[in-house]
Amino acid sequence: MSAVAIQAGDTPAARKSGGMTSWEKWGLILVIPYLLIFVVFVIYPVGYGLWLARHPESYTKLFADPIFFRTLVNTLIFVVVAVNVKMVVALFLSGFFLHTRWWIKALSLVFILPWAVPSIPTILSMRFMLNPEWGVINSAIFKLTGMDGPNWLNDPTLALSFSMLAHIWKSLPFWTLILLAGRMAIPGEQYEAASVDGASNWQKFCFITWPSMRSLFLTSTILSMIWTLGDFNSVYLLTGGGPADLTHVLATLGIRYLRLDQVDLSLASIVVALPLILPLVYFMMKRLSK
Amino acid sequence: MASVSFKNIEKSFGATKIIHGISFDISDGEFVVLVGPSGCGKSTLLRMLAGLEPISGGVITIDDKVINDLDSKDRDIAMVFQSYALYPHMTVRDNMAFSLKLRKADAELTNTRVANAARILNLDPLLDRFPRELSGGQRQRVAMGRAIVRDPKVFLFDEPLSNLDAKLRVAMRAEIKALHQRLKTTTVYVTHDQIEAMTMADRIVVMHDGIVEQIGTPLELFDHPGNLFVAQFIGSPSMNVLKGTLRQADGREWVEALGQQWPSLTHAQARDGQSVHYGVRPTDITVSASGNGIPAKVIVVEPTGAETELLLEVGGAQLVVVMHGRTAVQPDDVVHLEITAEKSHVFDGTTEKRLD
Amino acid sequence: MSAGLRKSRITWKMVSTEAKLLLIGIPVFLWTIIPIYHMVLFSISPRNAATSGRLWPKEPTLSNFSFVFQQKHFYLDHFWAQLGNSLVIALSVGALTLAVSTAAAFAISRLKVRGGRTVMNMALFTYFIPAAFLAVPMYKTMGNYGLLNSQWSLILAMVTIASPYCIWVLKQASDKLPWELDEAARMDGATAMQLFRLVYLPLMVPSLVAVGTYALLLAWNEYLYAFLLLSKDSSVTLAVALGNFLAADDSPWELLMTTGLIYALPPAAIYYAFKRYMVSGLTAGAVKS
Repeated sequence: MSAVAIQAGDTPAARKSGGMTSWEKWGLILVIPYLLIFVVFVIYPVGYGLWLARHPESYTKLFADPIFFRTLVNTLIFVVVAVNVKMVVALFLSGFFLHTRWWIKALSLVFILPWAVPSIPTILSMRFMLNPEWGVINSAIFKLTGMDGPNWLNDPTLALSFSMLAHIWKSLPFWTLILLAGRMAIPGEQYEAASVDGASNWQKFCFITWPSMRSLFLTSTILSMIWTLGDFNSVYLLTGGGPADLTHVLATLGIRYLRLDQVDLSLASIVVALPLILPLVYFMMKRLSK
Repeated sequence: MASVSFKNIEKSFGATKIIHGISFDISDGEFVVLVGPSGCGKSTLLRMLAGLEPISGGVITIDDKVINDLDSKDRDIAMVFQSYALYPHMTVRDNMAFSLKLRKADAELTNTRVANAARILNLDPLLDRFPRELSGGQRQRVAMGRAIVRDPKVFLFDEPLSNLDAKLRVAMRAEIKALHQRLKTTTVYVTHDQIEAMTMADRIVVMHDGIVEQIGTPLELFDHPGNLFVAQFIGSPSMNVLKGTLRQADGREWVEALGQQWPSLTHAQARDGQSVHYGVRPTDITVSASGNGIPAKVIVVEPTGAETELLLEVGGAQLVVVMHGRTAVQPDDVVHLEITAEKSHVFDGTTEKRLD
Repeated sequence: MSAGLRKSRITWKMVSTEAKLLLIGIPVFLWTIIPIYHMVLFSISPRNAATSGRLWPKEPTLSNFSFVFQQKHFYLDHFWAQLGNSLVIALSVGALTLAVSTAAAFAISRLKVRGGRTVMNMALFTYFIPAAFLAVPMYKTMGNYGLLNSQWSLILAMVTIASPYCIWVLKQASDKLPWELDEAARMDGATAMQLFRLVYLPLMVPSLVAVGTYALLLAWNEYLYAFLLLSKDSSVTLAVALGNFLAADDSPWELLMTTGLIYALPPAAIYYAFKRYMVSGLTAGAVKS
């Protein structure tokens, strides 16, 4: 037996201490940092927030605030319309980016920019484009027609629509990329077999692409809804919730109350949103943790 | 070098017991192969010896020292994995030196050991390559080199050749065998391939459904399979087995099956009318185009060059015969089968144990 | 004759396909580029020429950049300090998140720590709470902890928000490493930490790059938490400084756009530099279908 081997062989089974192997002990030590963060910065804030939002009066006050109902409606429109438009366009564009052309490859590099750059400067850029007096859009309208353009962000419907467009502009590239990855995972033989069988492009989409993408598309849509519920920037930076607080969504309303020093209303508005979020979160947890 | 002993080893995963009290000893320097169909528990047994799987019951000793509660690294054993498990980010040299580095062996000893192992396995020109730059056979050799460098008491091999193509597998088989003859390290080798077991082992342990079916040298298992399972598992093509009835008269004994009489030796434990399985290996049947013996219809003729394999039909059942050399026999011909009683195997119809 | 016919038909089909692709490609290009180009145009235009409606300024200039770099405006008094804050905070968040989530992913995926599944679920749950909804409770909590206006509050908040996703991606990636490597290392005599240092970390480099970059960019880009948790002009990040331009109607837009461009460049550069890791690492983990 070699010296090295004896040295190793003679180590007693001392690793057993308190019924835990050293591997189990290290496992525990290594998750503790995250557990600490979770307890201190997730459990405590959530618990504290719920405790601050415990008074029924907060909810009576909240429901009495006309802005609140407007906000709820806005949020639903935002989540349903913006997300679905975005996902359908992303599904369409993922098919477009599947084509192999040098210029499509180049375009894909540009196309990803909105996702790669921070949203503040780009949304502020849009805001300035829409400025009624100096913005490029109204300047162009004036040049072409000699008339003043509309005050885009002063109309609640238009303002909310532009917020949705800003949101779509920012997150479309990401979802296109995800769905593109899904499309690329479909084996090419399936399409070849369909071509041999004489299928049209639309039939190929219906019978091959969509069945394989359905699950990914659904998961992506739900996840996008959750994230869209939390999209603060697209609304706050473009409209600031205005005009007259008519374009708030739940993500900005809480902050508005906070700035008005109505912490209880702020937290109550979040609690009210829970029935909207939790089913979606539950769905995603089921999907991802199996 | 060391002896290994298993005493009443059991293994359960939750409520499912997959190894039911296995006992056997491996002597110093022996090459033992654990063989059996997948799911028989052979890999689990090996992993319990390696310390990768807790032992549910029983005792494993190496050199009479109980190792049940020792960490793998303290058991002084080395293992070659099916997937090789080479560290992809380390060169061949670093892969082989890794265990010594962890043990803080001095650089000179490490270099000598690695150089020595590389020489034995012809790995010298590859020492600075990464695993991804090696062929399957070379990776396999590096995995063995990593084990050799440790100079352990026991080598463990877990299906090490199953990721290689057929030709390379034959070559590596010989290489491992030669290595063992050179190093004489106690070796436990797991495979599902009975040919590997036959060609490499000093002794074979045949496992099935978590128990040991039989232990013996390759030829013992081939010539005297202890039960029907071993009889059919060992040997390729596998033994022909017919269900039949044992007959005794005038101090003679034979088996009636498929409406024919099949010769057998006399068995002390046997009684007339007993239901049995009658077995005969494809190589132990002589075929003659005319003459005596059991008539059989030829269905398929498969020449392989040195041998010819025939698929025959007797009374609605199919038999395989392997003939040396070539034959003029054609499909649909009727041939006659001759079997010597000494080459027959008879197993009890219910217990499937060999009759002696 | 018939061969010629077929040939022309194929060419016709090819042309119509290209035309259809261009019909999609050109709008996509314009849609993507206009807000960004608008920003670039402003940053290289003299003060009053930007709104002229020209596609390229008559006299392109870099004077806006020199204004910003020399902090020659009320809004830009702390430009360099704020850029530094953004950088320090982003780097801290990247490093801390990487450390915390790598340790957790290793413990859950490779050491199979008891309760690892629960920890993973807790992390996933956090990942799915929209960050904006956690902002107000987080703000109150930081107040209770006495961390408001300290950059630590932003760093810790961002680590909290970034690490769940990082743990998830890293766990997915490390689950793919062959289990035999750990067993081989154990038999070679490695301790848990040696396995972590000598085998796990080197093999995880691509995912670590992806995850570290993700956390860094998340912190660099964050606006809401930054403006809630920090308030002193000299301690806020560039993102908050940009938001502050909105306070007045007569904001110097060309300087805002210039600063925004400077602020947007590093993340874009990092994204393109690590594109290979980002796309495979992040999209693979984002949605498991």
